[in-house]
Amino acid sequence: MAAAGKTRSCGAFYFSLFSLLSVFSLSESWFSGEASRRKLSVELNPGWPSPAPPGGDLLHVRAVGDNNTLHFLFCSQGAPTLLLVHTNTSSSTVNVDWTQFLSRNVSGSLKVEPESSVLYSTAVIFSRLWEYDDVNDTAEPTSDLFPPYELQNFTWSRFNLSGPNALLCGATTTFANGSLCLQLSVFDSEGRGPSLPRLLHTANSSQLGVWLDGVLPRATRSRFLLELQAVGGVYPLSRVEVHRSIDDEFTPSIFKVSQWVSSVNGSSDVLGFLQWKPVAYRQSVPALEDATPCRHSDPRPQSGEAVASASGLIRAFYAEPEAFGLNVSFGLAGDPFYNSTKFLSWTVLLGSGSPPVDSFSPLVLAMMAVGLGTPMILLLLGGVCVCVRKRAAASTYEPIN
Amino acid sequence: MADYEERQSLLGEEDEAARGPGRPMPAICDPNHLLHRIVVLTFMCFLGFGSYFCYDNPAALQTELIQDLNLNTAKFMQLYAWYSWPNVVLCFFGGFLLDRVFGIRLGTIIFSLFVCVGQVIFATGALVNRFWLMEVGRFVFGIGGESLAVAQNTYAVNWFKGKELNLVFGLQLSMARLGSTVNMNIMGWVYSKVGKLVGHPGHTALGASLMIAAVTCLFSLACALVLGLLDRRAEKILNKEQGKTGEVIKLTDVKDFPFTLWLIFIICVCYYVAIFPFIGLGQVFFIEKFGFSPSEARAVNSIVYIISAPASPLLGFMVDRTGRNVVWVMIAVFATLLAHMMLAFTFWNPWIAMSLLGLSYSLLACALWPMVAFVVPEHQLGTAYGFMQSIQNLGLALIAMAAGSILDTRGYLLLEVFFCICICGSLMAVVMLYFVDYLKGGDLNLSAAARAKLQKEATAEAEIKRRPGKTKESEFARLKPMSAFGLRNRYLSRLGAQLPDHCSTHLSSVAHRSVLK
Repeated sequence: MAAAGKTRSCGAFYFSLFSLLSVFSLSESWFSGEASRRKLSVELNPGWPSPAPPGGDLLHVRAVGDNNTLHFLFCSQGAPTLLLVHTNTSSSTVNVDWTQFLSRNVSGSLKVEPESSVLYSTAVIFSRLWEYDDVNDTAEPTSDLFPPYELQNFTWSRFNLSGPNALLCGATTTFANGSLCLQLSVFDSEGRGPSLPRLLHTANSSQLGVWLDGVLPRATRSRFLLELQAVGGVYPLSRVEVHRSIDDEFTPSIFKVSQWVSSVNGSSDVLGFLQWKPVAYRQSVPALEDATPCRHSDPRPQSGEAVASASGLIRAFYAEPEAFGLNVSFGLAGDPFYNSTKFLSWTVLLGSGSPPVDSFSPLVLAMMAVGLGTPMILLLLGGVCVCVRKRAAASTYEPIN
Repeated sequence: MADYEERQSLLGEEDEAARGPGRPMPAICDPNHLLHRIVVLTFMCFLGFGSYFCYDNPAALQTELIQDLNLNTAKFMQLYAWYSWPNVVLCFFGGFLLDRVFGIRLGTIIFSLFVCVGQVIFATGALVNRFWLMEVGRFVFGIGGESLAVAQNTYAVNWFKGKELNLVFGLQLSMARLGSTVNMNIMGWVYSKVGKLVGHPGHTALGASLMIAAVTCLFSLACALVLGLLDRRAEKILNKEQGKTGEVIKLTDVKDFPFTLWLIFIICVCYYVAIFPFIGLGQVFFIEKFGFSPSEARAVNSIVYIISAPASPLLGFMVDRTGRNVVWVMIAVFATLLAHMMLAFTFWNPWIAMSLLGLSYSLLACALWPMVAFVVPEHQLGTAYGFMQSIQNLGLALIAMAAGSILDTRGYLLLEVFFCICICGSLMAVVMLYFVDYLKGGDLNLSAAARAKLQKEATAEAEIKRRPGKTKESEFARLKPMSAFGLRNRYLSRLGAQLPDHCSTHLSSVAHRSVLK
C-alpha cells in the first residue's frame, strides 16, 4: 500500500503506466475496504459511579478487530486530549483508578490491561490557541502575538455523544458567546467524511474536527494558530511529511497532504500518525470558496512534564511522556481575516499504522477508460472496415479470363 | 493622439472639398498611398484591442474577483457564459446587420459602443458590489465583442483587398493576442496598485481596476470614430463602395449540410470547450496545484496566446503546403489530449503542457476551419461558418457553467478529466471523419498536390459552365462570380493562413473571435 502511494505521488511514472496502475489501485481499494472492520463500543467515564466527574469527562471508545483492539480515549481533564492505544488482543481492557486520576499528580492511574499486549500508543493534546494581529497582512506570526489562550483553563462542556461521535465545546471569559469545539469521530470501517475536507479514514483512525465559532477577536486583523502536542512512549511523532497528490477530487484545489508520523529510528515503517490536509474553512458549511490554506511549523521536542501537567490523561497514562509540539497557522497573506466570517474549522486524523492514501475514484477511472477507449475502438473498427472494403473491391475487379 | 488624428482627417477632408480631386495631396492624406493606409491600419489594429483586452479580464483577476465579491467558481464562470449567450444568435446576424442595417462605419461605432458600455456596466457592478449588474455588463459586452471582430475584418478587406491583406490579417491577429496577453499579465499589477491607492483591496479596488481596463475600450471607440471618418473621406475621393462582409446566411441550408460537416462541428465544439473555459480557470489551478505565484500563473496561462501568434502563420503555411487536413487535425487533437492529461495526472512543469497546448491549438485552427470550405458548396459557406460559431458559443456557455460547478464540488482532477473527455469526443469525431471521408472518397484528406490538380480541373469546368447562365448568379448578387479556388481562399485567409496575394482577391471577413484565437 505504501509502495502504491509512492508511485501515485510520482506523477510522471503514473502517467506512463496509467492503465496498468489504475487496475492495480482499483483492486487495492476493494481489498483494503473489506480487510478491516471493527466493532465499536462507547463508554463514558468507565468505572465512575455518579453522573459526571469533576473537572471533565473521559470517553472510552473500544474498537475491536479480528485479533487486535484500538482504545480511543478522549478526555477534557485539562487540555483536550485524544489518546490511542493499540493492543494485539481482542480482549484488552481499560482500567481507571478515579481518585488518582482526578488528583492528576501520579502516573499509572489509567491502565490498558494486559500491559504486555500494548503495541503502540500515541496521543494528541490541543494545548494552546494563539492569536496575533496581522497589521501588515503578511500572515507571519513573528511579532504581535497576543498572550495565548491556555486550553487547560477553559471551561469545557460535558461530552455530547451520538453513536461513536463526541462533541466537546469550551470557552473562556473573553470569547463573548464564542466557543472552541472539538468533534471526535471513531469509525468501524473505511470511508470518507461527509463534508469537506472529506478525509479518507480507515478503521484504524479517528477524526477530530476543531472549530472556532463566533469568538470575539482581540484585533480586527486577527489570525489564529493552534498549538498541538503529540505524545508517545518510545516512538513519539517526530517528523512531518508533506506529500503531493494529483488527486483533489474529494478536497477541491488541495493537492497536498501533511502527515505527522512516528517511526522506528531510520526505518520507513510508520507506527502512528496525525494526518491533515493543509486547508481550513471559514464557514460552518464548508465550500471551496471558503477555503483558507494553513501551514505548520516544524515539530519541536517539548518538556514531557509540562505536557503531563496540562493534560490529566497524559499524566495518568504515561510515566515518561516524550512530546513534540507544532503550530498550525490558518490563512496566508491576502486571505480574509478571522473577523470576516468569525468561523474557522480544521480537521485532522489520528490513527495507528500507515496513514490512509487517497486513490483515484472509480468515477475518474471509468471516465478515462471510456474516453480513451472509445476512440481506440473506433480506430480499430474503422481500420477493419476499410480493409474489408478494399479486399471486396479488389476481388470484384479481378480480370476475367 | 486619436484626437489629433481625427482633427487631421477632418482638416484633410475640408481641404479636399476646396481643392477638388484633381490636385495632388501629401502621401499621408492620399487614400491611394501606402503611407495613408498604414495610418488606417494602425487604427484598425487598435479597434479590436479593447475588446480583446477586456474579454479575459475575469481570468486575469480570478482570485481577486472570487474573494472580493464572495463568489464561488460556478458564479465566476457565469461571466464567461453571459459573454457567449448573445453570440449564439448574433453569429448569424452580425454580418447582416453590418451589410444591410447599419453599414460598416456606423455598425463598427455601434458595436464599439456596446463593448464600451458593457465594460463600464461590468466595472460599475464591481464598484457597487452587485454581481447581477456585472453579468448584464458581460452580456452587453458580448453583443459588441464578436461582431466588432467581423467589422474589423470587413474594414481590412475593404482597404487592403488584393494588396497587403494577408499581412494585415496577420497583424490584426497579433494585435488580438497582444491584447489578451497584456491583459493577463498587467491586470493583477493594476489591481494591487489601485488597492494601495484605495487603501485596501476589495470590490472598490476591483471596480476601479476594471474601469481602468475600460479605458482601452474607449480608446478602441475613438479608433472606430476615426476609422469611420477616414473611410467616408476615402469613399468620397475614390468613389468606392462601402465595405461589405459579403456574408449570406440561409438557415434552411442547415438541412442540406453533409454528415462530414456535422462531424466538423462536433470536433470544433468539443475542442474549444476544453480550451477557453480552461484558460478562464487556469490562474488559480496553477497557483493551487503547482504552487506558482499569481504573476507566474498569469504568465503561464497567457502562453497559449503568446505561442499562437507566431505559430499560426507558420503552421498555416505548413498545412497549406502539405494538405492532409484531417491528419493534421487528428495530430492537434491528440496533442491537446496529451497536454490536458499532463496537467491532470502529473506535476510536470506546466510550461511544457501549456506550450504544447498553444501549439496544438494553433495547428487545429489552421487545419480545421478551412475544411468547412471543402465540404459545403460556396453559397452555403456563410451559413456553415455562422452555424459553426453559433454552436461553438452555445457549447462554450454551457461548458463554462458546467466547469465552474464541477470545480466547486469535485475539484481540479475531475475538471481536467472532464476536459479530457471533451477532447476525446473531439478525437472520436476526427477518427470518424477520417474514415467517412476515406470511404466516400472525399477530398478532405488529400495532399496539397492532389488538391491543386483537382481544383485546376474544377476551375476549367466552372469557366465553361458560367458563360450561358447568368440567372443563377443574380441570386447571390453580392458574391462576385469566382472560381471554387478563389472562394476557398477567401475563407482560408480569414483564418490568418498565409496565402499568395493574388489568391485572396475577394475576401469575406466574417471572422469571429473564436476563429482569430
